[in-house]
Amino acid sequence: MTAIELKNVSKTFGTYTACRDVSLAIPEGEFVTLLGASGCGKTTTLNMVAGLEDVSSGDILMGGRRVNDLSPVQRDVAMVFQNYALYPHMSVARNIGFTLKMRGMDASEVRKRVEKVAASLELSSMLDRLPSQLSGGQQQRVAIGRALVREPKIFLFDEPFSNLDASLRMKMRAEVKELHQRLGVTSIFVTHDQEEAMSISDRIAVMNQGRIEQLGTPEEIYSRPATRYVATFIGSPRIELAPGIIEQGEGMAVAKVGSTAIQLAAQARPIEAGRQVEVGARPEYVKLSEDKGVRAVVRLVQPVGPTTHVTLDWEGGTLVSSVPGFVRLAPGTATFAEIDPNHLLVFDRASGERLS
Amino acid sequence: MSFARLQHGGPVRQTVVLAGLAVFVVWSAGPVLWLVLSSLLQQKALIQQPPDLSPANFTLTNFTTVVGAAAALGRGIFNSLVVALFSTAVALALGAPAAYALARLPVPRANGIAFLILATQMLPGIAIAIPLFILISKLGLIDNVLSLGVVYLSFNLPIVIWILRGFFTSIPVGLEKAAAVDGVGIFATFWYIVLPISIPPLTAAAVFAFVEAWNEFFFALILTRQHAQTVPLVIAQFAGQYQTVFGQMMAAAVISVTPVIILAILFRNQIIRGFADGMMKG
Repeated sequence: MTAIELKNVSKTFGTYTACRDVSLAIPEGEFVTLLGASGCGKTTTLNMVAGLEDVSSGDILMGGRRVNDLSPVQRDVAMVFQNYALYPHMSVARNIGFTLKMRGMDASEVRKRVEKVAASLELSSMLDRLPSQLSGGQQQRVAIGRALVREPKIFLFDEPFSNLDASLRMKMRAEVKELHQRLGVTSIFVTHDQEEAMSISDRIAVMNQGRIEQLGTPEEIYSRPATRYVATFIGSPRIELAPGIIEQGEGMAVAKVGSTAIQLAAQARPIEAGRQVEVGARPEYVKLSEDKGVRAVVRLVQPVGPTTHVTLDWEGGTLVSSVPGFVRLAPGTATFAEIDPNHLLVFDRASGERLS
Repeated sequence: MSFARLQHGGPVRQTVVLAGLAVFVVWSAGPVLWLVLSSLLQQKALIQQPPDLSPANFTLTNFTTVVGAAAALGRGIFNSLVVALFSTAVALALGAPAAYALARLPVPRANGIAFLILATQMLPGIAIAIPLFILISKLGLIDNVLSLGVVYLSFNLPIVIWILRGFFTSIPVGLEKAAAVDGVGIFATFWYIVLPISIPPLTAAAVFAFVEAWNEFFFALILTRQHAQTVPLVIAQFAGQYQTVFGQMMAAAVISVTPVIILAILFRNQIIRGFADGMMKG
């Protein structure tokens, strides 16, 4: 059953359009991430789902019911905010239990529920502390506890980890994913961190300029990006694209970049010759070779542990190769780079759409 | 102003800042010091040129005389308390919700409204004194403590609104969003969340309003006769009644400013935080 559905939702602030025609259907229990750079409309979309922001046009449905005019409470959503938004004058216990108290729940029942949630988030020993006496990670757990205690139908996360340091962010990411696996509550998560989105989500909606560029599983988004924007936004190190033109080679189509012909894999839908394109491959599909592939010169060598990122200059501009382990290569070394044709991504230069 | 911040500048900057502060301290504390000194001096020593500050001339008789005429001063203090507490309490009760609405709710032309509220304070007192006097005497409310309180309220309310609005604007929006998602309505958000975290600016605004009402002289002079006289008027009367015995006047003044100073000392941290929070955003 569809838990949340957005039908052609748009939001304008004066003359500025924050979201245009956003459509998205989220089945019950799914974890969907809205991913994009700042200003892409992801938080506005989340706020509209929460009921914190009015919808300019379009409909939002929850469980099949139109909720455009319902308050956040009537929608039964819980939200975790970027800056935690804990009530500074209330203890941890009161922060978590406040929403229940406001619903007129009996004090002893509130206490019981708060203690249960606190135990599941390892906050039991801190119930009497004020938010200012907690670390960033603990504050964020309190914020999650405040959302959990209501046992809501829908969880919304607005960049909840962006104020945390890197190691804590990894830990919280794992905690939220485990929490979702355990409770199975439909969740929408907003982030600008593509790695976070990949690691936590069932599906990702990549947003750009108020629209959804692509909606898909992390694998689809990564391996089969619908547009140039998605391809370059996702993946680290970033994919580098080179301008080229499609030519019909002997039996196979090739992309001609300068004087270099890069072979394309067999196409279900052949690309017509003469098409202006941009081509590239994810760094793990670019191999260094002694004698095969395109001529290149090593510019930069960056070991990161499991792999080494080697940045190369070639006729088409820049190319990045991810080589397993550590490699010894001096900048300026002439080499060859072999691009796996099965993982070559080809985009239309004008529209940015992926052709292959 | 924290002295730690001075460390950032060079010696020239430090000297300039400290000299400026010294001038400010002498400027504001000098009269108070002179007030206390003269309240303790005999009339003879006080009116000498220059005043004779030898220890033999110090006395407490001014205070004993003033306290002896306690009826007038006592009534004055009582009236001042009523007027100041009334105008402060009502200004907070009305001003805080108004400031919140202007800071946070979708009020059309909120900035314009806020400016109009401030603009009411731009008229010199003398300009409104006569119409105000006519109005209040037609209502038969001359020499009435509460009518004076209402007049003070009209000065205090805009100030309270401006102090609090500045602070409310600086509260992170996330808190109210969290409250909305938690199922808290506007009024409950204001009561349970906004007000408790606004204690410093509320205190600052309250002390400010209280002191304004406590010290006000001009409107008290034209709107009261005998019954509703406030402390500043009673003090002024020592001038006429006892052939301007400066020492007694000053002793009465010392007694009258004592509560205000105690108030300021008690709440100094919250006053400083309150003004700092409200005035300097971010």
